[in-house]
Amino acid sequence: MRNAIKVARWEMRRNLKNKTYLIGLFMTPALILLFGFLGSLMGEDAENGSSTTVFINDEVGVYDALKETIHTVELDWDIQQTELSQDEVNEALEDTEDTAYIFINQEALSEGIVPVFTSDAIYDLFSTELMVLETPLKSIQMSKLGLTEEQLTKATTPIVFSEEVAGENTEAVDGKGATLEEDPFKKAVPGIFAGIILFSIVIAGMYIFQSASQEKKDKIAEIILSSVTPGELMQGKIIGYFVLGLLQAVVLLAFAIPVALWKTDIPIIEYLLVPETLLLVLIAIIGYLLFAALYVGIGATMADVSTAGNFQGLVLMLPFLPFIFATSVFMNPTGMIAKIGTYFPFTSPGVLLMRLTVMEEWPWGEIAIALVILVVSTIIMMKLAGKIFKVGILMYGKNASLKEMWKWLRA
Amino acid sequence: METILSVQGLEKSFKDKQVLKSISFEVKQGEIMAILGPNGAGKSTTIRNIMGIIYPDRGEVIFHQYKDIPRHKIGYLPEERGLYKNVKVMDMLLYLADLKDYPLKKAKERALAYLEKFDLKGKENVNLEELSKGMNQKVQFISSILHEPELLILDEPFSGLDPVSQDVFKDEIRHLADQGTAILLSSHQMNLVEEICDRLFMIQQGEKVIYGSLDDVKTEYANFKCTIRGHNDLTVLKQLPQVQRIDHQPDRAVLYLDHDVTPTLWLKNLPVELHIQELSIDRISLHEIFVDIANSNQSNEKVGEQHA
Repeated sequence: MRNAIKVARWEMRRNLKNKTYLIGLFMTPALILLFGFLGSLMGEDAENGSSTTVFINDEVGVYDALKETIHTVELDWDIQQTELSQDEVNEALEDTEDTAYIFINQEALSEGIVPVFTSDAIYDLFSTELMVLETPLKSIQMSKLGLTEEQLTKATTPIVFSEEVAGENTEAVDGKGATLEEDPFKKAVPGIFAGIILFSIVIAGMYIFQSASQEKKDKIAEIILSSVTPGELMQGKIIGYFVLGLLQAVVLLAFAIPVALWKTDIPIIEYLLVPETLLLVLIAIIGYLLFAALYVGIGATMADVSTAGNFQGLVLMLPFLPFIFATSVFMNPTGMIAKIGTYFPFTSPGVLLMRLTVMEEWPWGEIAIALVILVVSTIIMMKLAGKIFKVGILMYGKNASLKEMWKWLRA
Repeated sequence: METILSVQGLEKSFKDKQVLKSISFEVKQGEIMAILGPNGAGKSTTIRNIMGIIYPDRGEVIFHQYKDIPRHKIGYLPEERGLYKNVKVMDMLLYLADLKDYPLKKAKERALAYLEKFDLKGKENVNLEELSKGMNQKVQFISSILHEPELLILDEPFSGLDPVSQDVFKDEIRHLADQGTAILLSSHQMNLVEEICDRLFMIQQGEKVIYGSLDDVKTEYANFKCTIRGHNDLTVLKQLPQVQRIDHQPDRAVLYLDHDVTPTLWLKNLPVELHIQELSIDRISLHEIFVDIANSNQSNEKVGEQHA
């Protein structure tokens, strides 16, 4: 183990002294943030563009109530009172954009028809947004009719359809209801956190692959193996790149968390400091070990990264397999595809993180089975990779064929 | 001298081909022991078996003072060798010394001293990819001796070196042996090895051909040869006694003498009419011994095949 730590330290130091690595380390989060920032800039532009000036000619004293409603639902309206009459509106609207005049008077209230005049160019959603005003106007209309407070409340409360499907767990339905009421970010934050860690260390795992094949290319493997065993060399690489991956995650989070705190109102730190985070991070770490073993083994079979054959190329893509499942898993986190993804070792870490991010009630039984499968397959993968690594790392100058790998595995 | 390493009855096959057949030898403290043989004879396979990089099918490798392979007490320069390209010379040397558990401060001092000795002074902070192939070889050599190994195993240490560097390496290897390091080296360049080795193990097609001290081998196998510069007829030369064969050129002839020749007596009996510009008498080289033995082995095999 001492030797493995020495190898790990060397791999870390070597990368940290390497300009390419350092640039990558800080560029990744910088690029992500830059794109995020550009995106929000464009978003703001779009919002600014659609900001609507709404003039209200109020003859019945509802202006304050309407203003409050608009403020509550956060419509991007700039509302102002006006004394303009309906006859003068057309003239006023000439050559304007996103401007509207609403006339609320006794006649409108009694007939239930509110005249609205808009400029030629107004966005499509405006008429939908107008519906927001229906409730306050309705209540004023009804109070004019002399209804009591209780009658008013009843009349204005919308009717809700409570659905229950026979045979389905009612708790789950309740649960879903609860999710809507709770902040969805409460579950998502630990998941996203673990996801960032998984992403960072899997990317670092890909460096392992490069490092193992570089060892062959530089023909240094035999010199190193005169001091350490192949097992120690392999472990050292896995540990070294694990720490480098965590470093990448720390840098990424050091950029992301302050920005998220600044841009959103989500209490990220509070949501993060929950026991669930530990489990999610554990899943990410086991996932890393599985892929690291796979990469270090495959890396040792290749003379050069650029000469990856079909088989090796396919293996390299394995960590991205959960993305194929992503839509199905998010749409139906308890569905068949989500379950299959949970139990298949190579998709298990990714799919588990996705599911646990969106599910209110965690399926503990499934989590336990998935963890056992993941741990067992990681151990098996380590052993297999060890066998391949031992022979492959010394085979300079050529890629190993599948047949050869099979022979080494059986040896 | 204390025996550091014993190899006993080593056998190894790759697929159906047996590449090592009952190889046994010893390496003692303070001696240079050479494994000699042509390419593909089994030299590197023997060394890789000793280093535990591959495992023998049969036979044993014994490090006398240790139960297991004492990796930190061995210096190893493999045949196929290189170093990380994008790291500095000193970083590389210190990492390899660290893997051998050698104190870093001492390693740094020794590294600087060796860099100076090998004409690489001031290169410690240069990236290895910026060094020439010869310089890289020197750094590799330094890395194998930096931690003061008890046993130094060098697989083809002279390959790819220019004559000047070959001499530097030879001197350093001799120096280390004089200080008590047990050295096992392999080479197919027999003339180089002949100059420095104390004992040798000649191997061909995975089998022992000769094993013994250089002097013994020479006494046993290396007959005298007489080189005469001058214009002599082949017929005259053929009449000389105790001559096995003659390489004849118009102005030069090499006479290979019988095994039991006494050089002084033989010289005394040379005819007066012989034209001699220069004359030298010495034993035939390891290379010639090897070629002779290898050829005779092959012809024996062919005879065997014909009888089979």
